[in-house]
Amino acid sequence: MNLLESLLTGLDEARRHWGQTLLSLLGLVLGTASIVTVLALFGGQAALTQQFLDEVGGRGVYWVQNREQPVSPTARELRSKRLVYDDAAWLERRATTLRHVVPGWSHELDYRVGERSFEGEVVGTVPGYAAVNDIRPLVGRYLSDLDVERKARVAVLGWAYADSLFGGARRALGRSVQLGGRAYTVVGVLVREEFYFAPWSGNALEYRNRRAYVPITTAIAQHGLGEQLDFLTVKLDTAVPAHRAQAQVRSLLWARHGVEDFDVDPAQGGENEGAFLQLFNYIFLVVGVVSMFTGGIVIANILLASVVERVREFGTRMALGATGGSVFTQVLAEVLVVTVAGGLAGLALGWALTGVVAMVMKIPAVVSPLIAAVSLATALLVGVVAGLFPAIRAARLSPVEALRYG
Amino acid sequence: MALLDGRALTKTYRLGKVDVHALRGVNVAVERGEYVAITGPSGSGKSTLMHILGCLDTPSGGAYVIDGEDVSRLSGKRLAQVRNRKVGFVFQTFNLMPRLSIEENVALPLKYRGGLSRHERRARARAVLDRLGLSDRLVHRPDELSGGQRQRVAIARALVGEPAILMADEPTGNLDSRAGATVLETFDELHRAGHTIVLVTHDPNVAARASRTIAIADGVAV
Repeated sequence: MNLLESLLTGLDEARRHWGQTLLSLLGLVLGTASIVTVLALFGGQAALTQQFLDEVGGRGVYWVQNREQPVSPTARELRSKRLVYDDAAWLERRATTLRHVVPGWSHELDYRVGERSFEGEVVGTVPGYAAVNDIRPLVGRYLSDLDVERKARVAVLGWAYADSLFGGARRALGRSVQLGGRAYTVVGVLVREEFYFAPWSGNALEYRNRRAYVPITTAIAQHGLGEQLDFLTVKLDTAVPAHRAQAQVRSLLWARHGVEDFDVDPAQGGENEGAFLQLFNYIFLVVGVVSMFTGGIVIANILLASVVERVREFGTRMALGATGGSVFTQVLAEVLVVTVAGGLAGLALGWALTGVVAMVMKIPAVVSPLIAAVSLATALLVGVVAGLFPAIRAARLSPVEALRYG
Repeated sequence: MALLDGRALTKTYRLGKVDVHALRGVNVAVERGEYVAITGPSGSGKSTLMHILGCLDTPSGGAYVIDGEDVSRLSGKRLAQVRNRKVGFVFQTFNLMPRLSIEENVALPLKYRGGLSRHERRARARAVLDRLGLSDRLVHRPDELSGGQRQRVAIARALVGEPAILMADEPTGNLDSRAGATVLETFDELHRAGHTIVLVTHDPNVAARASRTIAIADGVAV
């Protein structure tokens, strides 16, 4: 019996005991479907994360922040002035790998308009902040270089604060707001920013709507203690590898501070959202891997059971002249048919399931060709590996052993 | 020279830490055209002898020549070929493929032989079934047939490859006396037609149909 005939026998057998085939199929279908669904949801989340980072201008943006001072600082650490306003100008002059350098100052201050007052975040910064973080004014303008130069008492309000203090963006324009006891003129209100990871979760960008931006020079002069900065935001030149730019920033600041008392990290949108998202992604990944294994074990188990059940039949075939090789090919061919059919059906089911889950939970999920290929390949790999053991086992039996089996 | 010639055949199994001597030096010779019954109580070693004579198993010691070919040292693929070409096997439990039709079941050994077209295989299967009076059952499944009919299909399957010898292991063991009788008549007819038959049985009535009896007890011929 040649290879082709062994294969055909295998296919024929798979077709003829379709009940058993169906059972193995079910395991495969469910295993593959769960892989597809999990990967699609995982992919959807990853795409959403990317979208979020694009939205907040997160790509190629690094944060420089003061490192917490140790309990017993060294003389050098004590001598360092930490991050100061001049560091920004220094980096701007010396760094060849950066497109923007934006110094930042951030404090909680009292907001007051007439009788209305509350505490909220005030960010002191420069015009470049708008470009780096991708924010736009809805009415009026953002901070200007002239504002920074003149330490002007002007403020740009986030949408939510303009609304709660003045009852709308347009009404806020030109009005006066007290920030930390000093009067500022509102010169602009920003576009309302929204981003939802899921319909039931809150606006991940709401923190941006609850803020006022003032010139950094004004902030330091009016509310600061010396020239201390809270952060430096740098945007890398896209043509330069990130690690090189990061290294340059580090060495330039080190030279100025005399000690590495700062950290340079990639920006993560909102900190909480970032952490939440990462956790979410890990959970999805773990679920995906577990379901792959589960699917694999189910497939292996069913294939092994179906072979054990038929050992006596293999014994008969050997008595009639089948070689171990032809029994092996037959079992493997059956496995392949079941695996391919189950993989394809699982793909279809997973695709449908993904659609339903995405619709019901209102979250993005797409079965990309890559996901389809990966899940099908997994099903095949698992099927072949799982089928190989029963096939080898069947082929190595002597006819007498096989005939006596069970 | 005898068609089957086994000299000093031994077979030892290892069961856990104990060696079990199923055969302790059996000499057996079957001439062409003979109808031989191997008898003995259960556990006597008659089935082991049958498996060795049918090339389903190899002896631990001794020499075995079938149709001029020494098969006692063959293994795997070569032994499968010998089984396919020289031996036709009939089992107590019929061992038909439940999902294949009668015709496909009978043609199965030819499939493993290779070199025959599908058409040719079917034609030969039909010819044998016709000879055994089963030509109206071609497209049926085994479970649609009576026990006696199933065993005769199994005989047809054993004959289709025109083997040198027909071997049967308790062929009437799973049949009622009437069905058993028809199967035994079939063996008688085949014997008259010149076939060589070796049959294992513990039933003296079955053994009585054979032209010669080899009795086995405790792994030796008595």
